Amino acid sequence: MSPEIEQFLSGMKKTIEEVVMPNLTDRFAQEQAGIVAASLGFLGLIQDKAFHYELLENQEYKRVLTDINELLNDTFSAPESIVETTVKVAEHFVSDKVEDPTHLRPYKFIRGSNEVMKELLCEFIQLQPEMPAELRTAFEALMKPFFKSIELRERSWVKALGFDPEAEQQADIGDLLYKDGFLNMDTP
Amino acid sequence: MREYYTPTLKNRAQPGDAWIDSIRQQFPTETTLDEVLTKKLRNRSKTAEHKTDFSNLETRLVAYLKKATGQNDIIMENLHRLSGGASKEQFTFDLTWNQKSGTRRSEKLILRMDPSESIVETHRLRESQMLEAMWGEVPVPKVHWTDPVGEDLGHPFLIAGFLEGTVQPEGGDKASGLGMFFEPNLRLDLKEQFVQHLAKIHTIDWRNKDLTSYDSPRENHVEANEWSLGWWERVWQEDAVEAHPIVENAALWLRENMQTVEKPVIVHGDYRSGNFMYTNDHQINAVLDWELSHIGDFHEDLSYTTCQILGTPMDDGSVLTSGLLSKTEFLDKYQHYSGNTVDPKRLFYFDVFSYYKVAVISVATSSRAAYGRKTHLDAMMNLLCGFGYTGVSALQRLLDQGN
Repeated sequence: MSPEIEQFLSGMKKTIEEVVMPNLTDRFAQEQAGIVAASLGFLGLIQDKAFHYELLENQEYKRVLTDINELLNDTFSAPESIVETTVKVAEHFVSDKVEDPTHLRPYKFIRGSNEVMKELLCEFIQLQPEMPAELRTAFEALMKPFFKSIELRERSWVKALGFDPEAEQQADIGDLLYKDGFLNMDTP
Repeated sequence: MREYYTPTLKNRAQPGDAWIDSIRQQFPTETTLDEVLTKKLRNRSKTAEHKTDFSNLETRLVAYLKKATGQNDIIMENLHRLSGGASKEQFTFDLTWNQKSGTRRSEKLILRMDPSESIVETHRLRESQMLEAMWGEVPVPKVHWTDPVGEDLGHPFLIAGFLEGTVQPEGGDKASGLGMFFEPNLRLDLKEQFVQHLAKIHTIDWRNKDLTSYDSPRENHVEANEWSLGWWERVWQEDAVEAHPIVENAALWLRENMQTVEKPVIVHGDYRSGNFMYTNDHQINAVLDWELSHIGDFHEDLSYTTCQILGTPMDDGSVLTSGLLSKTEFLDKYQHYSGNTVDPKRLFYFDVFSYYKVAVISVATSSRAAYGRKTHLDAMMNLLCGFGYTGVSALQRLLDQGN
């Protein structure tokens, strides 16, 4: 397959910056063209990592939802509203099984499954006030490293956009996604 | 375009009446905010992508101005689009018309008009009433005409006097003025005024102003904070393109840790570099962008203004509030000028709130607007999502600290 996506993007960026922008006279148009060029530069940096980003999220959400279901089923008696969400999780795991070779799925399938799992996790989060104190404490303990993992990954993903006042302290997304040359699937 | 993976995402993309009603009931907001947010949802699936063709704007604007002034001999010229904004479509033009005194006068004016969907959905009547309330109190542009419905130009708008001045120093080039750098001498000249104007805003007796489009919260009550949080919770639920556990958890924390507001004040809502203008002799001659203003807790402005993500990183590792002064200096000066005492607990609450608001605006609404191709700034809206995720990260770090 040629040209590679990166080559397309860098070609477009160069044309906009060196051919289009110098010949624009309208300031608004210049500003927008600059933003398009910046977007193309960003896409060039991250486009080859998008699939693995979603795949890693898929594995992490499956893991945390499984842990929550086990916590609720095995350890504590949960209110009915929370049990309903655990049922939804079980139903979702029929269409995207935990043990499936997800890395062989198309990108859109993984992305769609992740969106469903994010909503299910948010349902649990909203239901925290209904949890008995002991259950809520255990739930929060599960969430803490999970939240950390999300914020580190997302912040690294957008680091190259230049908005982050602490950008130098954030890992590059490639360093965060991969370990020893493979996708880093270690538990957060 | 993308498929809808969940019923919630489908409702957000194609909102029906029943879903809109449920959102309105679940997240109570001020009356006029409810009006614009509901209108946004009703229009979302009815309107096509936003048109950036303004070839007939001049004709429509002239027709409107003739109607608004009641004069057929007005002269409108030099209509130009402005760059630099991140929200509304802005144009300048020169207008010559007859004054009440009988004299004929020319003035450069600015037209601020809503796109089909914006990074913040706000009410032009609120903005114009607040600008009029601020006239004579802090430097603001003079509002001439407002159309909150948008029947004349296709979108709601306001027209105000155009003030000459600088928003970003030469070579600033920062999206929406975020993180802009001021030279040390400029900092020295501007920082005092920057704090003084905010202190003034917070000490104005708003009950004696014509702010009928604003709901008045009770004193010593959580109502003001309920409305503030309800506003952004509602916007998140309307606009998010995917669920986010950290943002959801933050909303819960904000509900569970809400404080009463002893004495509600006028809150600017977006007080920072990029939203003020200064003259060549370094005088702030306009405080701009009042569209997020409301009546609430003064700590809300203090936290937002000093929010690290909106500040300017310096070579020594520090971050300057609006590129002008340190957070500590800002708060010290604020207390001196306003007479208000900063409560660290409330300040922390609004630190969390500010990052939550940044997340809602930048992760949810900007992405939604670009997804629907509803603005003149779709490319920028996508980039601003990145700003939002930096905010979400900071939000989580703050919550970790708070817990």
